Amino acid sequence: MLTMLANILIDGIAYGMVLFIIAVGLSITLGLMRFINLAHGAFAMTGGYVAAWLVRVQGVNFWLALLAAVLTAALIGALLEALVLRRLYRRSELDQVLFTIGLTFVFVATTNLLFGAEVQLIPLPLLLSGPVDLGVRTLPAQRILVLLAGLAVSLFSWWAINRTRFGVWLRATVDNREAAAALGIHIRWVFGLAFAFGAGLAGLGGVLGAELMPLEPYYALKYMVLVLVVVSVGGMGNIFGSLAAALLLGTVDTASKYLASGYGSLFFFAAMMLLLVWRPNGLLIKAKA
Amino acid sequence: MKPKLYITATVTMVAALLTATHAFAVDVKVGMIAPFSGPFAHYGKLFKDGAEAYIASQGGKLGGKTVQLIYRDTGGPNPGNTKNLVQELIVKDKVDYLGGFVFTPNAMAVAPLIQEAKVPTVIFNAATSQITEKSDYFVRSSYTLWQVTVPLAQHIYKQGTRKVVTAVTDYAPGVDAETAFKAEFTKLGGTVVESIRMPLPTTDFGPFAQRIKASGAQAVYTFLPGGPPNLGFVKAYTENGLKAAGVEFFGTAEMDEFDLQKFGDAAIGFTTSFHYSAAHDSPVNKAFIAALTKQSKDAVANYASVGAWDGMYIIGKMIEATGGQRDGDKAMAAARQLQWESPRGPVRIDAKTRHITQNVYLRKVERVGGVLINKEVLNFGQQVDHGLTK
Amino acid sequence: MTTADLSTTSNPSAANAAMASSGVRNTAAWKHCAVIALLGVVAWFVFPNQLSLLARIAIMAILVISLDLVVGYAGLATLGHAALYGVGAYAAGIVATRLTGDPFVGLAVGALAGAITAGISGLLLLRYEGFTFLMLTVAVAQIIQNLASKFSDLTGGSDGLSGFSIKPLLGFSFDMQGRTGYVYAVTLLIVCYYAAKRVTDSPFGLSVQGIHQSRPRMRALGANINAQLWKLYTFAGLLAGIAGALSAQTNAIVGLDSLSFEISAEILVMLILGGAGRLYGALLGTVIFMLLHHTAATINPYHWLFVIGGMLMLVVLVPREKLIGWMLPKAWRNKMRRA
Repeated sequence: MLTMLANILIDGIAYGMVLFIIAVGLSITLGLMRFINLAHGAFAMTGGYVAAWLVRVQGVNFWLALLAAVLTAALIGALLEALVLRRLYRRSELDQVLFTIGLTFVFVATTNLLFGAEVQLIPLPLLLSGPVDLGVRTLPAQRILVLLAGLAVSLFSWWAINRTRFGVWLRATVDNREAAAALGIHIRWVFGLAFAFGAGLAGLGGVLGAELMPLEPYYALKYMVLVLVVVSVGGMGNIFGSLAAALLLGTVDTASKYLASGYGSLFFFAAMMLLLVWRPNGLLIKAKA
Repeated sequence: MKPKLYITATVTMVAALLTATHAFAVDVKVGMIAPFSGPFAHYGKLFKDGAEAYIASQGGKLGGKTVQLIYRDTGGPNPGNTKNLVQELIVKDKVDYLGGFVFTPNAMAVAPLIQEAKVPTVIFNAATSQITEKSDYFVRSSYTLWQVTVPLAQHIYKQGTRKVVTAVTDYAPGVDAETAFKAEFTKLGGTVVESIRMPLPTTDFGPFAQRIKASGAQAVYTFLPGGPPNLGFVKAYTENGLKAAGVEFFGTAEMDEFDLQKFGDAAIGFTTSFHYSAAHDSPVNKAFIAALTKQSKDAVANYASVGAWDGMYIIGKMIEATGGQRDGDKAMAAARQLQWESPRGPVRIDAKTRHITQNVYLRKVERVGGVLINKEVLNFGQQVDHGLTK
Repeated sequence: MTTADLSTTSNPSAANAAMASSGVRNTAAWKHCAVIALLGVVAWFVFPNQLSLLARIAIMAILVISLDLVVGYAGLATLGHAALYGVGAYAAGIVATRLTGDPFVGLAVGALAGAITAGISGLLLLRYEGFTFLMLTVAVAQIIQNLASKFSDLTGGSDGLSGFSIKPLLGFSFDMQGRTGYVYAVTLLIVCYYAAKRVTDSPFGLSVQGIHQSRPRMRALGANINAQLWKLYTFAGLLAGIAGALSAQTNAIVGLDSLSFEISAEILVMLILGGAGRLYGALLGTVIFMLLHHTAATINPYHWLFVIGGMLMLVVLVPREKLIGWMLPKAWRNKMRRA
């Protein structure tokens, strides 16, 4: 019984961390920029595909490829933001949803055209392949990297937003765009960088999560719902909220796999509903009376 | 904007779209129902490659008649849409035969249509036993889960294993596989210690691998739908040390040639029971693979493309028997008598069930000449559809 | 339009007079329905071999009209609307399997099932707005889909619910060509359109639109927001259930895909293409989308996503008038400009 609980926790946290890394970028753009970007999954997919291509086809070192993947996703995010998405900031939520869904479709179709429908594997370096013995059980080494990366990302994101000047500019711009502009903050740069940051994080998630969420053209659509769930439960813009939400929901999903797998994702969504109803503004924010 | 103009513009466009048709003279029309878009689009391509390669190998004609393949995209398991597509194929395009069908619900949806219109329909892939019972005009060139699972269960028992855990994807074919295995294995005296159902959208198979380990079974019998879940499961199996713990891997279609190379050396030794291996050593199979590669550089020889290849053989024989005329009953009567050497081995259409009776082989994954293949190590002999005789 | 007109107390004649005087367009619902009926008759004669496709379009149109009520009029973006449709479909299918093949009984049960599902889920969902509401609708739909998959004895699971047959409709059996199905679907489309139009043009409908525009204002007027939205949502569920039942009966099969997220997303796309907030927009959007899909799939299904993705982006970025303008010949374009 105890081993089962330990298993549920370990596997659940590992799964949740992957969800978090992909979702945190969306939480930032959604929460801080109030822009619903459903093409976020496409950035994750882009990062993953770039890394896969670099390592498998060009023989690049895994860590370098990872860096390149993150930068590519960030760059594509920045370009899209500057050229197209910028015009949608003032539009309604529905318009943003629909446009970015259309964008995602085009991403999926392009990926299908360029790489075909097969799953893209990212060969892991020797350090990461193979299990690590934790004493109580073995855990794939790659999961440990994900865990560490997740913690690093959450701390770094929090620091960037709450402790740096850039963070101040971002929060000011979100609170009151006109006033921020009047104070001399370069709004365009701030938004562009924030968006690129979110996209880069998505790319990171795409690479690190490739073991769990295989890279294939429909990736951008398939996992979008999961990511949205994490963001909505965690509270938009709330980084530690997203972390808590991802870990919690990941554990619930894993528990249902161990205990009642016939019900599919029912418990995941039921948990999501309960959490949303209990804390509609985010997991770590008490609901206003 | 004035609604009237908006409406008029739309109506004009609608009329244009609806009348967009193209027709050219041809003797026989065959409708091909498969997913060509979406996550299962590779099936459509495999069918296309197999079917067109067969026609090309016969000199471009079947039974001496020109054949037109009309492809229709189902997108996935979508019975309502499939029914509409087939209705249109029958009523508007006036097809003589139908082929394809990856998913069971799609096949079930068209059963009443083909029954009424008497259109012989060859199932290239769908593997649920009861499909052929839904209409007299279904004939199957694929396989069923019962057909390949029963001999596997017998083999596992014979080799001394007594405790097995089943881990199947939670949808109809998976449940079919689980039922078939349990029925046969427990009948022989073995025990199925646990029956794990894995939700279809699962990506993280770690928990299931842990459950398999904890069950204390000596072997796991698994069924997965193909594609990313297969990779995920094999990865979880290896990463969680199941191989090292001595839990033997048994499956059916999981080591499909389409994805086989991706498993890497982790899959070596995996044992599956199936009706077709691209490594089958026969001149007919070699000719099949050659024809496929000629048709399309990246064509893959696997159970889907061979299902289409043999399916077109059946259609060709039906065309021959009816002289290219539309006669569903005569065609089905001819189909029931068919017996031939397919790339998979000797096959026969069962006159009563219209299912394909074929050899089922035990295969182990090996690395030969730098590539992974499913090496046939045992031939279970001709198997009928055990699901219908149970 | 003065705020006094948006009262929820029903005084139809006064309200109508007020609306007419303030210039609100209130085209008699029967005019639109006459047009639909006319088009339906024309299509019968011009496209006799594609009636099953047209029936499917009509059924989807009912569903998209239902979605328009929630998204376009009440302003609640939902990605879980397929749940109401699928529940109606399964209800009608189960009735046909276990009780009776009478089409009207199945239709009524399906409609009721849709309404009840909307009513019960609405009690919880409608307390929320915006993104939270959107995500909750997704959750509800996914939960229902998982339940349908789990209770496969009742629903047929992933094989789908099939093997039932529907008795002849007023003496006409459901034939291969799809003629009976077509007349059935188009008739119900007209009925549902009429009902929806009457509701949206009524004081109740206007109050819902008022809620969309500004909740605080409506609250200040004394409107009971939750009650109004709940009534609308349940009515939309009724229509969605009708669409589901029709689908089950004309296809004689119900699959898990009828509860899927894909359908919820697709109908939203159809609605936007045609223009949310106008009922005929829902109709046109459905027709355009499904015909484009059908044609594209016939020509080359691989690249459908490019087409629909591109269209979505185009429709959002470019105002609809401009888009249609590009497609029309110059003469019409000038006429439009003068309009």
